[in-house]
Amino acid sequence: MTLDPEAMTRLLDITGGDQAFVDELIDTFIEDATTQIDALRAAASTGDPEAIVRPAHSLKSNAANVGATELGEMARALEADGRTGAVPGMDARVASVDTEFGAVRDALLAERAAR
Amino acid sequence: MSDGRILVVDDTQFNRRLLVRLLEDLGHTTAEAENGRLALESLRAEGAERVDLVLLDLEMPEMDGHETLAALKADEALRDIPVIVVTGVDELESVVRCIRMGAADYLPKSVDPEILRARIEASLAQKRMRDNERELTATIERQRSQLARFLSPQVAALVSSADGEALLAGHRREITAMFTDLRNFTSFSETAEPEEVLGFLRAYHSVMGALIVEHEGTLEHFAGDGFMTFFNDPVLQPDHAARAIRLAIAMRERFATLSADWRRRGYVLEIGIGIATGYATLGRIGFEGRYDYGAIGNAIILASRLSGDAAAGEILVAARTFAEAEEVDSDLVAEPGGDRTLKGFSRAIPTFLISGTRVEAGSEHVAAEGATT
Repeated sequence: MTLDPEAMTRLLDITGGDQAFVDELIDTFIEDATTQIDALRAAASTGDPEAIVRPAHSLKSNAANVGATELGEMARALEADGRTGAVPGMDARVASVDTEFGAVRDALLAERAAR
Repeated sequence: MSDGRILVVDDTQFNRRLLVRLLEDLGHTTAEAENGRLALESLRAEGAERVDLVLLDLEMPEMDGHETLAALKADEALRDIPVIVVTGVDELESVVRCIRMGAADYLPKSVDPEILRARIEASLAQKRMRDNERELTATIERQRSQLARFLSPQVAALVSSADGEALLAGHRREITAMFTDLRNFTSFSETAEPEEVLGFLRAYHSVMGALIVEHEGTLEHFAGDGFMTFFNDPVLQPDHAARAIRLAIAMRERFATLSADWRRRGYVLEIGIGIATGYATLGRIGFEGRYDYGAIGNAIILASRLSGDAAAGEILVAARTFAEAEEVDSDLVAEPGGDRTLKGFSRAIPTFLISGTRVEAGSEHVAAEGATT
């Protein structure tokens, strides 16, 4: 799992150190990413590579927002393959996206709990 | 410079919330839409003047950024709202496409508040300039149309035109001037009730005014029962002499209908018209605060004297004017009006009396004769 602490520092920085607001953003990220991963799973279950493009794209930009570099890279690769119309190992890849997301979420929440 | 109204269009809640927060920190008010379709709906419902700027994400479900941008630019009411596209690092070729489609600018997704501020202020400044321009244009249009109600349409157009100032400053030109006034009007206004006189004048002005506009004459002034109209200025009219005579014929014809009604009430009102062609000095006449577009010259004095000399129902025209008119309009029919000795003119002026036009010469003539009896 990777989580670049720079992203959080940056969010705090551009919001004038508003930790409460950044925490809300993290909740928003978790909410959105959950929806996007549901959509990825649905696409994988029907084996539709086209249907993977949009949720993968959104997940990619969402992941970048919180510094989840690895998650972002996985989503980017899914989006890129989805655009070509063929996503090799789609099921397994969506499953590892889900695992990576779970780890990112736990780390984000743990960081908050530790404050 | 702040407080723009900005619509944030992004399907990702995270991005919307962050952008909204940053924009509000900069002092702007915001609205949000989850995709292009909803953005267009809200813009069309609220009206373009409620939004100064759109921040548009490109990758969205239902209606993506490109489609939204195309729809905005195709909509007459929305196309002037600046659009800044918000893009990921891997979407740079899309940016080029968007700018070609009319996007004002673009912003990278991992937004920097300083860059955000700079780009938004630049776009808002452009938007304000366009708004001011539009407002100014609307004001000028409003003034022009108001002006047209007080001035001749030709003079109103002249005032708002690029070479208007030079023409208003004064110029010499050959014109055909026409004076129209009523016989017996003084005794009519003395004996009739004031309301009746005003009612008659209103009808008379509206009928004659419409004819002047229809024949594209420049009305210099009307005072009571009299009109001074001229042709060939400010708009050039090569057939100015013929136009004036045509207008006079139409006026005499319409006046016959108007006065028949009054004749039944016991008031005998008759029209007399004088027309002359010559050089005049035209332009702004008057003083600061009250200027008229006026004409000064011998032709105007001559037209006025001819109108005074014309008997009831007559159109008395200087021979020179009729000669010019006949050259371009062979349907005009006249008979010699004799050499008239007029106040202020040392030599007698040869004249013609207009009977009418060839097609309806008979009826015109009869109408004219009928009016004199």
